[in-house]
Amino acid sequence: MRIFFATDIHGSEVCWRKFLNAGKFHKADVLVMGGDMTGKAMVPIVARANDWRLTLQDQEHILSTEDEVRAMEKRILDRGYYPIRLSADEVAAWDADPALVEARFKAEMLTSVQRWMDLADERLKGSPIRCVVSPANDDIFELDPIIAAAEQVELGEQNTIAFDGFTMVSTGWANPTPWNTFRELPEDQLRSRIDDLLAEVPDRRRAIFNFHAPPFGSNLDNAPKLDANMRYVSGGQALIPVGSHAVRDSIVAYEPVLSLHGHIHEGRGAVKIGRTLAVNPGSTYEDGVLQAAIVDLDSKKGEVKRYLLVNG
Amino acid sequence: MTTGDVARAPALFLRNATGLVKGWSAFDAFGYSFLSVNLVTLGMFYSLAVFAFVPDGSVLSALLLSGVAMTFLCITYAGLIAVMPRAGGDYVWQTRILDGIPGAVVGALVGGITLYLASQAFGLDSTIALVGGVVGVVGGGLLGLKRGGIGFVLSTTGWWFILALWAPIYGYILNIEFVQPLAALSGWADGLTFFASSAGTFTVSVATIVIASGLVALGMAGYARIQRWSIYIGLIALAVMFVLMLVSSQDTFKAAFDREGQSLFGVSGAYQATIDNATTNDAFVAGGSPLDFGLGGGTWLLLPFMMFWILYPNWGATLYGEVRGAGDFRKVLNGMLGGLWVTIILAIAFVLLAAKTFGWDFFNATNVNFINYAYGYVTAAPAIPIWGYPPLLAAFLIDSHVIQMIIVVIFGVWFLGWAGTLWLSSTRMIFAAAFDRVLPEWAARVSDRGVPWTALLLIMIPGVIVSYLYSFVTGFSKLTLDASLVIAVTFFGTAIAATILPWWKKDLYEKSPIVRYQVGGLPLISIAGAITTIFLGFVLWEWLSNALYGIGTGNTQSIQFLAVLYGLAALVYVVARLYRRSQGVDLDAIHAEIPAE
Repeated sequence: MRIFFATDIHGSEVCWRKFLNAGKFHKADVLVMGGDMTGKAMVPIVARANDWRLTLQDQEHILSTEDEVRAMEKRILDRGYYPIRLSADEVAAWDADPALVEARFKAEMLTSVQRWMDLADERLKGSPIRCVVSPANDDIFELDPIIAAAEQVELGEQNTIAFDGFTMVSTGWANPTPWNTFRELPEDQLRSRIDDLLAEVPDRRRAIFNFHAPPFGSNLDNAPKLDANMRYVSGGQALIPVGSHAVRDSIVAYEPVLSLHGHIHEGRGAVKIGRTLAVNPGSTYEDGVLQAAIVDLDSKKGEVKRYLLVNG
Repeated sequence: MTTGDVARAPALFLRNATGLVKGWSAFDAFGYSFLSVNLVTLGMFYSLAVFAFVPDGSVLSALLLSGVAMTFLCITYAGLIAVMPRAGGDYVWQTRILDGIPGAVVGALVGGITLYLASQAFGLDSTIALVGGVVGVVGGGLLGLKRGGIGFVLSTTGWWFILALWAPIYGYILNIEFVQPLAALSGWADGLTFFASSAGTFTVSVATIVIASGLVALGMAGYARIQRWSIYIGLIALAVMFVLMLVSSQDTFKAAFDREGQSLFGVSGAYQATIDNATTNDAFVAGGSPLDFGLGGGTWLLLPFMMFWILYPNWGATLYGEVRGAGDFRKVLNGMLGGLWVTIILAIAFVLLAAKTFGWDFFNATNVNFINYAYGYVTAAPAIPIWGYPPLLAAFLIDSHVIQMIIVVIFGVWFLGWAGTLWLSSTRMIFAAAFDRVLPEWAARVSDRGVPWTALLLIMIPGVIVSYLYSFVTGFSKLTLDASLVIAVTFFGTAIAATILPWWKKDLYEKSPIVRYQVGGLPLISIAGAITTIFLGFVLWEWLSNALYGIGTGNTQSIQFLAVLYGLAALVYVVARLYRRSQGVDLDAIHAEIPAE
């Protein structure tokens, strides 16, 4: 059985489209999206008398036609940002009122994930390829029912999903971050959540963990150290482990065959923790490159046959 | 559609999400660049000590031209960082860009030249060497056709294998800039004799390997603090040295040097004895001035020497913030250029002060007198038994061995803040190759405390072996410039990748924030990449063809060493592909682009 695992695509339209095509392309049986699907930024496209104006990556663009605006919107979406058409007055109002921004962010996230689920239903219909999506700490809770409602997609969070003699358990909750995001828990509560999930797994050595937070001190969790003002310390060269102790301890305790992680975009890699292969494919979603892990599992032996980290 | 400058209204609305940071200090970006083109450990040790070998070269012009050439290198690298943030450096850039025909061309070039020169160096006749060159062209071309092949060979050699040669070079720098001066100043004659011997060089090299490995084990978070303080203290020490040189006359220095020559080594009239010894034994010709300005042939011949020191302003600053634009490109570039040009300016100030206070003839004589003997070009001993380490020479202006020792110790921070980077990039390269399944997965293992012991061993063991060769095998230390040559070849490959990027990987380039930077309708990154390619091509040609540098075709030991490095890297890649294929793992899948539609 072949698993194609990607994560942290943060709103990148092109990465999601590649993800949906990856099953056929890489002959995978199961597609797994590890969460953090939603974008972090909105780009205002400001309407003026005869044209549109926006600034992307510090560069101002003046767009004259509807076709140009649409092409720019696609470019923005591929980068993982949400293009928003606004008037100059609306931009000023948004700038003054964070609640307006928050409300629009929420609407954009829900709309885009609904669109992604529709696309998944369309592209995977009639295909034997299964698709598991599990929101993570940067994703709002309202996404879960949208994912659950998709016909061709299975919601990972809190569910045990069986395939070919293995059982996948998923959680997008993470240990606390400096950003205080949606799904964060103290380590002891995170461990309890994991233990509860494992209670439903018949053979824990045939378990597959799909936990967004990587295990602490695994090198899959090395991130640039930040100071109190959220600036990189030492130009970002000072890397520190920021993963979860609860995740690491649970891997050591339950010895699953495979443990899939994301969260730390710089933490691309694969390591063995005891008998468990733990992987974090990392993320470079802004480039439109889909980083992923392909893992072949031996159903008879209940072990990993081979793996490869890819950049598609 | 038209484009213009950044305008007034908010360009982005951001939400609270993991990974969004407020950037980083420009000083940090400057600091890594500044320490990498280390004026004291690399500059004074080598590049600023070899002017006597090219007496008709203009020092001032060579320094400025080096700065200009490296400016284009900085633009090239800052551009690649902007296009592929968090890619991690040469390995990924080359792997993602150099495939198909460009990869095959670069592979054929490297393979052909390597096998042709290696065949000659191993004593094969010219016909067989020619056949070897053709085999190299075909083999390198095939390797380059596969995405990942040429990137692995160039990055493995430049970021891993050659670091084994840097280990004894770092050790030798520590020996002659720190250990030997302290042994001499403390009157430890036996110690000075030991550390000046082959066994002493080997001992300090092994100690350096242990220190560098220890700093990696400590982790960059801890080492970064050491580096920051090293910059502050190092700059203060340099300022003290410059002031000492500025306020002292040449006569004062001559008297001080004669005094210390007599006191420490029993040499009377040491100042003039040094010039006389160099004139007799080293074919030293007095004359000239660092202020001579010109663009004659000698000046261009100085440039390959300068590269030993100034080739690395791009080292370290690979950061690019998430959800950021061209502003970060400028920040990265400014950091690199700041480190580069502050160093160039300090180097110019240093040579001018050296000429004023030490005397230009003495300064060049003492360097050539020591270098020729130390590297085995002459057998006649120099006038004094230790190198005229410039901070030590300046310290002689104070008539106190205790204060002189303090100055030497404080200048040690230039080494301390720099030595930790010796293995850092190598461990990252090994990790990247292991994650790409080219190296076994155990190569990327870390301890429970996050220490990459296996990767460290993969670097330390070759480091110790090459340190032994450097210390005990006659002539091996002459390969010093090979350490820069191999890195230059890696940069050469990256510069080619940057040059073709806007056309070969059009989609990637057009989505990047540097697409706005054009000169005469041509992408800035291509112009900078092309100039860097041409410049590095010239430097590589000189290194390989001109006997002046001691590492080219006239030195079979050097060519054999280089052939072993490139041959081993190619062999590892080919074996990895075959082995993985037998496991059912197709390495071509790593970079296969999944269709979006």
